[in-house]
Amino acid sequence: MVSLARTIRNIRRVGLREWWKQMQYIGDAKSGRLVGADQFGNRYFENLNPEEEIPGMTRRTGRHRWMDFSQHSFNATQVPPEWHSWLQHIRKDPPTEDKVVQMLTPSWKGPWVENLTGTRGAYKPYNTAVPKIKAWEPKVAPRGS
Amino acid sequence: MSFARPRLLVGLQPYTRASNNTSHIYTALRARRLLSTSTYSRAPHGHQNPNLSSGLDERMHRHHETTPVYNAQGSEVDPYKDGPSALDKAVHLFFFTEIIRGMWVVFENIFRPPYTIMYPFEKGPLSPRFRGEHALRRYPSGEERCIACKLCEAICPAQAITIESEARADGSRRTTKYDIDMTKCIYCGFCQEACPVDAIVETQNQEFATETREELLYNKEKLLANGDRAEAEIAANLYSDHVYR
Repeated sequence: MVSLARTIRNIRRVGLREWWKQMQYIGDAKSGRLVGADQFGNRYFENLNPEEEIPGMTRRTGRHRWMDFSQHSFNATQVPPEWHSWLQHIRKDPPTEDKVVQMLTPSWKGPWVENLTGTRGAYKPYNTAVPKIKAWEPKVAPRGS
Repeated sequence: MSFARPRLLVGLQPYTRASNNTSHIYTALRARRLLSTSTYSRAPHGHQNPNLSSGLDERMHRHHETTPVYNAQGSEVDPYKDGPSALDKAVHLFFFTEIIRGMWVVFENIFRPPYTIMYPFEKGPLSPRFRGEHALRRYPSGEERCIACKLCEAICPAQAITIESEARADGSRRTTKYDIDMTKCIYCGFCQEACPVDAIVETQNQEFATETREELLYNKEKLLANGDRAEAEIAANLYSDHVYR
């Protein structure tokens, strides 16, 4: 059970509709600053007030950064790596403000795909080198002459 | 008799609107609600507190006839003089004060912000040196870094890496096969430490669980694809740690 005053305060901030969505997914009424959204439409939030959300870093239990998936069938791997490093508190700034991440993003950056295991798009291993063992192909010498 | 927390109403005072007189007191009272500042988390744990030890060893090995203790004058000393009285102990026993004090701690947490991290919406902190799924990196020009020196293959304690190499058309030596058996890998990070060109790295991705064992036998294409899509994160982590390496 969560604090009643905290729940009421957060409902008043985010509105009933957003609160209902939060209860369907994250299961807790949270309110904070919208930090940004990634290319898939996932939204990322932050609330740095230690009275409202448990602060992180000192006790390793921070709840001050959270996200909202755009898909109903959500999956932890739907987060692209730049936002993943923000969400897991690896980088301080979100990728929209982080100069280092922006500077180090190459032009040949590949598209992010979620973990597709269990679907038809799942990775299947294959050999990338020339096979060393070749099947025997019988050659029959013509009879007679 | 010490009954529960000495200031029972302090936890509720921020909600009564009665403590708005001075902001200094108000912030002090609000800080008291946090578990990080609670007296319970700062109390000594384990054997540091003699009141919390069960004394089982002494009770099991004690002699049944207790020898009376005498002081310097030769009169008998009451060994229970400094401890709680029998009435105190009976009161604690019959009124369940320990249970009520424990339930009070539970009750207090109703008014605190909840602690549970709701994965995958929220995640705990991770180190930039975290060793997760492997990736093969490229140079900023797009040229692949791996030069098939096979140092990672040699150092791998689980022998999870298999490399075959060939000379490319332009004469440079590259791998034709770079397989990592992720079911053998123990994620020790020796491969990324052995690599002279920072080609093989372990990314911060830990969510690569699969349904079949086969999907964990990574080949070169898969590793290069991992590197291509996570290059910004990998490079930023290496950059943030480069002064310590």
